Amino acid sequence: MHLSRRQLLQNSSLGFGSLALASLLSDPSAQASGPGQSNPPPHFPARAKRVLFLFMKGGPSHMDTFDYKPQLQKDDGKPLPFEKPRVQFAPTSDLLGSPWKFQRHGESGIAVSELFPNVAQCVDDLCILNSLHGSNPAHGGACMKIHTGSDVFVRPSMGAWVSYGLGTENQNLPAFLTICPTLAHGGTKNWGASFLPANHAGVPLGNASQSSEQARVRYMQSALLGRRQQRGLLDHLQQMNTSFLDTTGPNAELEARIESFELAFRMQTEMPEALELGQETQQTQRAYGLDQKPTADFGRQCLMARRFLERGVRFVQVTHSNSEVQWDQHGNLKKGHEQNAAEVDKPIAGLLRDLKSRGLLDETLVLWGGEFGRTPTCQGAGRNGRDHNPEGFTMWMAGAGVKTGIQYGATDEYGYYAVENKMHVHDLHATLLHLMGIDHTRLTYPYAGRDFRLTDVAGTVASEILA
Amino acid sequence: MACFVQIAAAFLVSISIATSAVVAGDDLAKPTGTNSTGTSASDAQQIRFFENKIRPLLAEHCYECHGADAQESELRVDRLDSMLQGGLAGPALVPGKPSSSLLVTAVGYRDNTLQMPPDYRLSQQQINDLQTWVSQGAHHPASDSISSVRSSSEVDYQQGREHWSFRPVQTPQPPTVNFSQAAGPQSSDSPLSAALVANPIDAFVAQRLESKGLQRSPPAEKRVLLRRVTFDLTGLPPTASEIDDFLQDSSEAAFETVVDRLLASSAYGERWGRHWLDVARYADSNGLDENVAHGNAWRYRDYVIDAFNQDKPYDQFIVEQLAGDLLDSGDDFQLRHQRLIATGFLVLGPKVLAEKDETKMEMDIIDEQIDTVGRSILGLTLGCARCHTHKFDPVSHSDYYGLAGIFKSTQTMDSYATVAKWHENYVETPAESVAFEQHSAALKAKQQQIDQLVAEATEKLSSEFRDLKLDQRESHFDDSTKQTLDHQRSELKALQDSVPERPSAMGVQEGQVTDVPIHLRGSHLTLGELVPRSFPKVLVSAQPPSIANDESGRLQFARWLTDGKHPLTARVMVNRIWHGHFGRGLVSTVDNFGIQGTPPTHPLLLDWLASRFVSDGWSVKAMHRLILMSHTYQQNSQFNAEAHQRDPNNQLYWRFNLQRLDAEAIRDGILAVSGRLDRTSGGKTLELENRSYVFNHTSEDKSTYASTRRSIYVPIIRNHLFDMFRLFDYNDASVLTGNRPTSTIATQALFLMNSPFVVQQSEQLAKRLLERHSNSRERLVDLFQTVYGRLPTPQEAQLAQQFVEDVPTNNASSDASDANPRVNDSVDDHLLRAWQMLCQAHITSSEFLYIR
Repeated sequence: MHLSRRQLLQNSSLGFGSLALASLLSDPSAQASGPGQSNPPPHFPARAKRVLFLFMKGGPSHMDTFDYKPQLQKDDGKPLPFEKPRVQFAPTSDLLGSPWKFQRHGESGIAVSELFPNVAQCVDDLCILNSLHGSNPAHGGACMKIHTGSDVFVRPSMGAWVSYGLGTENQNLPAFLTICPTLAHGGTKNWGASFLPANHAGVPLGNASQSSEQARVRYMQSALLGRRQQRGLLDHLQQMNTSFLDTTGPNAELEARIESFELAFRMQTEMPEALELGQETQQTQRAYGLDQKPTADFGRQCLMARRFLERGVRFVQVTHSNSEVQWDQHGNLKKGHEQNAAEVDKPIAGLLRDLKSRGLLDETLVLWGGEFGRTPTCQGAGRNGRDHNPEGFTMWMAGAGVKTGIQYGATDEYGYYAVENKMHVHDLHATLLHLMGIDHTRLTYPYAGRDFRLTDVAGTVASEILA
Repeated sequence: MACFVQIAAAFLVSISIATSAVVAGDDLAKPTGTNSTGTSASDAQQIRFFENKIRPLLAEHCYECHGADAQESELRVDRLDSMLQGGLAGPALVPGKPSSSLLVTAVGYRDNTLQMPPDYRLSQQQINDLQTWVSQGAHHPASDSISSVRSSSEVDYQQGREHWSFRPVQTPQPPTVNFSQAAGPQSSDSPLSAALVANPIDAFVAQRLESKGLQRSPPAEKRVLLRRVTFDLTGLPPTASEIDDFLQDSSEAAFETVVDRLLASSAYGERWGRHWLDVARYADSNGLDENVAHGNAWRYRDYVIDAFNQDKPYDQFIVEQLAGDLLDSGDDFQLRHQRLIATGFLVLGPKVLAEKDETKMEMDIIDEQIDTVGRSILGLTLGCARCHTHKFDPVSHSDYYGLAGIFKSTQTMDSYATVAKWHENYVETPAESVAFEQHSAALKAKQQQIDQLVAEATEKLSSEFRDLKLDQRESHFDDSTKQTLDHQRSELKALQDSVPERPSAMGVQEGQVTDVPIHLRGSHLTLGELVPRSFPKVLVSAQPPSIANDESGRLQFARWLTDGKHPLTARVMVNRIWHGHFGRGLVSTVDNFGIQGTPPTHPLLLDWLASRFVSDGWSVKAMHRLILMSHTYQQNSQFNAEAHQRDPNNQLYWRFNLQRLDAEAIRDGILAVSGRLDRTSGGKTLELENRSYVFNHTSEDKSTYASTRRSIYVPIIRNHLFDMFRLFDYNDASVLTGNRPTSTIATQALFLMNSPFVVQQSEQLAKRLLERHSNSRERLVDLFQTVYGRLPTPQEAQLAQQFVEDVPTNNASSDASDANPRVNDSVDDHLLRAWQMLCQAHITSSEFLYIR
């Protein structure tokens, strides 16, 4: 009695999707979603089709990585010659020069510290944003700011906005996946949909306290039933659902419910296949550092991300965080940053090269960075620590739509404040959406009496970095 | 809170000044937008100052973006009227009031986010000049020619009061309609009595239906109706015996009996209390940045459940939540505790507890309170007026800060230092209080005893030892003293380790009474005029309630909301109740009755219900009874092509709407049919100490959801909700939601297909069926009755039977795509597996997940 889907369709007095779609069109608040739903068009031609966010949890130090400050080296140990911010996370003392050497790389001759020897080789593919600034000096506020644009209220995350704005390219996978996200400092808020329809929420694979080897979407597999058994169960269920639909009369939501089971069944196949890293060549696996212990965990995340991007997932985030706050070196800067950088440097370089060689970099926007940077002034007695610094920090982009081999904006001579071509987190979001073909002022959702945006009431597209 | 206004690299944006709050007291002040009083010699001098200093400055630094050619943020500063009127956000200039003039704020570079010109700061001299010009009255050659400019932040309250929801509630007469026609064909299965036709709700509904040439549907079948009302009132399915009772009761009062039974059950409060918890953004952890445990929030949850079960009058319910600490409870300590616990409503919001800017944190918390109170009780988005006058509703910037003063004068927090601490009130019984005091006294006495012993022993020491530190000195005490001291100290330690727990509850108390100045752009760094504590003017009729100098005004605010004449309080609540029953409110935007909200589909009915609510003593249960006894509620949900065409969204109630069960009802319903639901009520269920971290810097998941108690008792961990809840559109628990969305997404299907919860519960159900009955027929009857509340048709029974027989065994599986056949079933196991799968199909089917 195993009905095929075709038989099911024929048995139903209504074709799937027809009514659902008609109803969705007439009622924009309808939440039903299924393959019948077409993607909204972009506002203007998109430069990037997909986003990959490499999130470095804890706040990597920009003065020690991609924002070279010769004056800081000279004035090591001297007091900061201007005022510190009105609000600081913790007290800091005098200037602390970078313990790492910088070297110019590539045709662009951009200086990168020795912490990132492999990424430095790719510097001509990077668009380094040296003038980021946010508004919150604590991890929780800053994480929510960078992910949702708000450090005060619960708002949809940027991946959810992108999913809401552009829909999905692969009907069998979610539009927004986040691999090993941290559950602290905003937790699910950082990939949540908030008031946007629920299907735009990011779908997490594992979390930061787990190895990426265990990163799976929950409930993706039956622990009990084989595929044929499950299909049998589903066929019986769908038959009951169809006859219930016949009883009630046409109903878009019930049709969507029937289709949601079919989509789930297809996802069960598609998702594990995407996670089959064994399908990659040894060479590829090595390029991501899967063969070395320090790089294997993050490398696996990066490789999973590439496979998802390849399959049309709109927004993928990978998070570099152990169960602690990985990049948060209030003390122990030297050892901590060295270890952190060593874990991500090779995988990121491998990822960039791989994306490029497959032509994926042309349609993928890669974003790298943490929730804030660190202070050029020293924290702790050991002269080996830096505090949180949202006043000026560095992120970088690579890939579709951005000028490469450039540095945009600047911090002051020590790296404390963004001073030139300042780029607030809202500006970053506006620019990211712009690259995706979305006007950030027009991507709105009505909630609690007004229209909301990712960029709140702010945001300016950094048009100088557009290719 | 943010707003619509768009900031680009623009001048003077998104700030507004409520000019209505301008008070006299500044000699130089001139009312905004009125012309100067004539030209004098000093005026001429002032105008020369403008021409020499100010106009050139504006022309050079501002006109490019805010002049004749470009008006970013719709502001131009080359004309006086434009400056007074202001841009998108509000007036740039308030003559005589530099601190309220955005022009001065912006050039002053005091606010991080409002700095003009954007790329550089004017010279200090230029800034001073501008400030002087504004302080001296902003004399301008056009001053005389401008008669009156209305600034963009002024609110026309008179016109504002014309909005439907701000008008007083009417008591309309129910229309007279031809009921026999409007009632539609009566089914022989009808549980309705003829007398019920007279329910005025039906008259209001029938009138609208008739006007469209529609009529309502016939009554629902008894089984359908029972399942509907049981889930509606209790969140649980009807049991077999409840079904039998109802089917066998052929009296006219049969349905009324059911309604009364359900309203009297404790499950009712567990269902409808949960609806209120959505509105109260209830959670057992803070969420946001520092996710620490609300270890005592459960007391508020239980208070709400009890309030619904006891049918606490809604006016009292509101007053207690806003100002329970200020009510005189006499000697009744239990009553006093309940009222203190009720004020947890104001404290439950998510807070950025590691915000380093403590003043900002305080204002953010106040904002969250205003937003919550506004939307939950008033159906107004008051939070929108934090940064500027409300863009749509007649709520001014100063209205907001009038309310902010009330909450600032209320103590919500004990400490703002990282990690900040919210306030809790002790709710100990007199016996507990005595026990604590006695214990403290014993501790103190013991300490004194020890001190005295030491002092006496020290006396006895020779002088060379007396000045030694205590631990060195002690070695010179005699042995018996040492022994006694040891003994005493161990007693002290025991006392210290056994300090009785003092029960406490999140709540507020009166704080230092103060008024709050307008915060330009919502920022505490740029303050404007001080606003006396007050209520939103558009809602205040002739005589505003007075607030004494030594009171926050919270109690007056609560009384004003519940005086029975307030246009919003009753309307908003009856609409929430209606929404709970029909899945949609008469006003579909249940949390927004403002201009941007949706107007009511049945305004007269809404008013009639609101007025009835108040005259019935704000009884929520009476309102349920009234609604449930209507034909409108009891009609069936059958599709009707013609009616659908005329009213596709069923705005007029020509049928009952099919509704998906919410997350709790799905979970509780599954547990109920599997027989595993634990009906224990109340108490603490969060296994974490108060204020301890749910998640700190680590991502280790300390939340567990193994409980089989009703969903309302499952801890609500913000930022990490129970994923089954999250998947099925549970409210966010951080933001107030009176209207959860209903999504239909594939991840729900994955949960229903693969989650251990669903598999385990369907297995439990299968085991029960196998144990109870020896043949498939009986098992199937039981299954359909338990899960759907009805009997199977012969065809359904046959298909189900066939399914059970046809289930392939895993070990027989030759399916190559089965990479890892799971279990090698024995024959018995196989039978159980087959029934488990059938049960799973049933509890995940649409007929189970929806009520019709």
